[in-house]
Amino acid sequence: MPSPFLTPGAKSQLDSLALLSLRRDQTIPTILQLQDEKNPGYKEGKVTNTRFGSFPHSTLCDQPWGSQIIASKVDTGSRGRTQSKKLKRKADELDSSTQAEDKWTPSPQTPVAAASGFLHLLYPTPELWTASLPHRTQVVYTPDYSYILHRLRARPGSTVIEAGAGSGSFTHASVRAVFNGYPSDNQPTKKGRLGKVCSFEFHAQRAGKVRDEVKEHGLEGLVEVTHRDVYEDGFLLGDPKTGKSPRANAIFLDLPAPWLALKHLVRNPPSGAESPLDPSSPVYICTFSPCLEQVQRTISTLRQSGWLGISMVEVNNRRIEVKRERVGLEYENIRGTVVFPKSVDEAVERTRAVEERSQLFRAAQNPSDGESTPAPNIESEATKNTSTSKPETETLDRRQEPEIPVYKQGRLMTRSEIDLKNHTSYLVFAVLPREWTEEDERRCREKWPSNRVQESQGPLKSKKQLKKEAKEQRNQEKQAQEQPETESQRE
Amino acid sequence: MHSYVRPHQYVVLRLPSEFTKIQKIEPDSTVFLGKFGSFPANQIIGRPFYLTFEILDNPDEKDGSCLRMIPAAELHAETLIAEGEGDGDEPDTNEDGTPMRTNREIVDDASTQKLTWEEIEALKREAGGAGREIISKLLESHQALDQKTTFSLAKYMLRKRRKYMKRFTVLPLDVSVLTNHMMEDQGAARIMEMRDEMIGLLGCWGNVHHGGNISLDDAIAAKPNGRYLVVDDTGGLVVAAMAERMGILYPHDGDDYEEQGSSDEPKKGETEQAQDDEQQPTEPSAGRPVRPAHMSASGNSITFLHPNKQPNLSLLKYFGYNQDNPDETHPLHTHLKTVSWLQLLDPNSDPIYAQEPEVIPDSELYTMKSNKRGAYHRKRNRWARVQSVVNEARAGEFDGLVVATLMEPSSVLKHAVPLLAGSAHVAVYSPSIEPLTELMDLYSTPRKTAFINRRQQLKEQKLQQSTDQDDTGANEPQDSELSELMDEFYLDPTLLLAPALQNSRVRPWQVLPGRTHPLMSMRGGAEGYIFHGVRVIPTQQTIQAAGNPSRKKRKVLTQQTPTPTVDSGSGADVEMKS
Repeated sequence: MPSPFLTPGAKSQLDSLALLSLRRDQTIPTILQLQDEKNPGYKEGKVTNTRFGSFPHSTLCDQPWGSQIIASKVDTGSRGRTQSKKLKRKADELDSSTQAEDKWTPSPQTPVAAASGFLHLLYPTPELWTASLPHRTQVVYTPDYSYILHRLRARPGSTVIEAGAGSGSFTHASVRAVFNGYPSDNQPTKKGRLGKVCSFEFHAQRAGKVRDEVKEHGLEGLVEVTHRDVYEDGFLLGDPKTGKSPRANAIFLDLPAPWLALKHLVRNPPSGAESPLDPSSPVYICTFSPCLEQVQRTISTLRQSGWLGISMVEVNNRRIEVKRERVGLEYENIRGTVVFPKSVDEAVERTRAVEERSQLFRAAQNPSDGESTPAPNIESEATKNTSTSKPETETLDRRQEPEIPVYKQGRLMTRSEIDLKNHTSYLVFAVLPREWTEEDERRCREKWPSNRVQESQGPLKSKKQLKKEAKEQRNQEKQAQEQPETESQRE
Repeated sequence: MHSYVRPHQYVVLRLPSEFTKIQKIEPDSTVFLGKFGSFPANQIIGRPFYLTFEILDNPDEKDGSCLRMIPAAELHAETLIAEGEGDGDEPDTNEDGTPMRTNREIVDDASTQKLTWEEIEALKREAGGAGREIISKLLESHQALDQKTTFSLAKYMLRKRRKYMKRFTVLPLDVSVLTNHMMEDQGAARIMEMRDEMIGLLGCWGNVHHGGNISLDDAIAAKPNGRYLVVDDTGGLVVAAMAERMGILYPHDGDDYEEQGSSDEPKKGETEQAQDDEQQPTEPSAGRPVRPAHMSASGNSITFLHPNKQPNLSLLKYFGYNQDNPDETHPLHTHLKTVSWLQLLDPNSDPIYAQEPEVIPDSELYTMKSNKRGAYHRKRNRWARVQSVVNEARAGEFDGLVVATLMEPSSVLKHAVPLLAGSAHVAVYSPSIEPLTELMDLYSTPRKTAFINRRQQLKEQKLQQSTDQDDTGANEPQDSELSELMDEFYLDPTLLLAPALQNSRVRPWQVLPGRTHPLMSMRGGAEGYIFHGVRVIPTQQTIQAAGNPSRKKRKVLTQQTPTPTVDSGSGADVEMKS
């Protein structure tokens, strides 16, 4: 079965993983099936219930990926009562009412579209999967694994060792990186090999979960899960002592003590066992540790065992929210706005208006108090003015409003998301070059004699220059043929 | 993969000063490293990558070799020694815990170094030992050396070593190394200041990967896998990065596995097409081997959209691919397709696409001169190629879109997003945030709501008009409707789900015994942002459903998403998402 992660095809298929995207950061992974053994009772077969409605899988299957799917009217209330009818008396009473509803639905199998609610049907990618996977351990998130895989040179055809499969987010990301074809029995003897991920997990239950996931996601043959304590037993596939070497090009260690695993990752293990590393290529490593103390021990061990180019980094990633912020006095009673003067002018105007009104109010309260009380006729005039002018400005505002559509109001602002991931882990990178013996060096020197140098190449020449030179050379050769004496003299 | 240095290959030489130099390794030539000296290229051909060499002053008597491979233990010698001494945790402290040696007594003064400038210059000319001699002389004649703390001494040594050691490390030229090289040494502006971590992130969010060996399941899927649309104004860096992810960048990929152990030939000839799964390498026949045509791959391909008449992919030369004169054995020859924006949007204005060269019957062709016949075939082939590539691009159904452009990203997405298949991912890089906030705004939820409502409104208007006139045109007015909508909204915001914006930065640390801290300085400049979204296929039905939702339902939905709309009631149904 092709994996929906790697080759999703054009449409969603039965028995394969699909992601139901409800909204940003809310995605439900589900295996598309017509019938659900674990949860029978729906007339429509397997149904996924969400806060935005119910979705029978018959409406999700064989749809183009990316489709917007409308929720269906599903009777979630009477679920399960078909079996437990006799057990519950109350259910019996209610049953009559649901039967009445049954007459409403035209046929028990075909779902009816609901009035509202929908989701988007997406094929899984490691990114979406990482955001929606069931957490078992700390997850390696996209900003980290994207950089790690890039630095590890995990490319199509590589073999990656992953120790500490954890929640499987890195497993999915790395299998996408190394994938260059599904293994098949009648594999043609082509050069190059198929990319593979060898995943090691010392927690039996987690290893089993990862194995199930690999199967469900169509990644069998691409990911090999081994339940193993790698500190003790190393990285050979199958039997820890005599097993096959994975011939890894890249290694990712998400372990509490990566330095304990490093003794197995050498070119020539002292025990005489086969090395798990690819003898024909450099091997890249990355360890993922949250604490500085772990990093120091790891790096110290890496130095002792001959790894080169050792570097340590941390990745800082921020998600940024973009919103239109609407500030102004005209936004009264509108949600998501700040009712506050948007400028000094507006503030002054408002204060002036308030001041005027309070003056009038005071004047009306105690007309005898003030010495310079304005004449009552003027006062009434003033109140008239303000009372008429006020609604005018308000109506003006309202009239202006529809001119700028809501989605263009306010100013575009950016800010970091509220829950910032300040630290994930420290990443230690290193590379172990191919082994190079004196014998190799001797052979290489024979093939490429050290002191054979034709002519020192100066700065790069343009095509024109080269042509010109070639022409000159030809002329010279001609001349040389004509006058061999001068040639010998020159030499 | 990159297991040893091949002749005629570009490699990167890293010098002690951390300066990197791109060098094409031609057999029998000399490589110059400025003040660090020079060496014959033959002495690194065939050797593994990541090794560090020292340039010797006196070449080996026997075979003239002047490079010495430095073992890893020697490279790490000093840090390992320091680690051995008291674990480096609290170096140089008295019993009461105060540092024993401080810089209290040190006066900043040029007189501490007793060697004069002239003497040092003379040393540089004469001294041997690949720079070690100079450094030891400098240390000897430094007056205040004993006052230095261990740390400052180490720093001093490091500084001098960077300046005088005649060492270099050979690195394979891959996308990561090239990016760092461009950022450090060359104009970073040429690659839009795209850092290495951004390239990794861009590829992941774009979901760019190998399309797989579709042989058995091909019939079922009926859709070629792994077709990506790339807009790249960095001179080919993004194309190279995506090609690397798809396994079509390196011509010798996968060769190493077979060759290992045997003392390999320089190259068995260019007849080997590396790991191309859809096109089986054709058997080299007696004459010229038959090759798959230029830009002919059906899957696992990159379609590169370029603004000018000719694509700018100059950086691909470092990977052995020259756009003007493509090497037929290179995987990019078949898997990289180039289409200009003009060809995409208005193909009939493009003379190459629109004007079919006349077909000359074979009988007449035989009478022609061979060079004329060649020109005829070239023209025919070019026309056929452009036709198929452009038609294929216009048909769309791409699996992903990756953008790093100097143009307005919104203008790119306006035309490119409709060409994507459903659920395809879109990733846009920009050195600064402003173009991407604009993009976020164009795909904002209030805009989506307004768009859907407006479209519904227009539809109803049109429906009324058409029913007034006649019944047949009821379903027609899609296009005019769209143009009106586009005037108002610029692009269709409903085609992209969950637009998100992020930024990422890698912070390097120094890890040494007792001296672990983030590096003191790093590159500033453009921050670098990535926009991401998923192409979806909006249904037309929802709009009907939104017309008359029950009172209760609407309330529930508006509670779920507090959207900043004025009249949230009308838009509730379409707003519940993203």
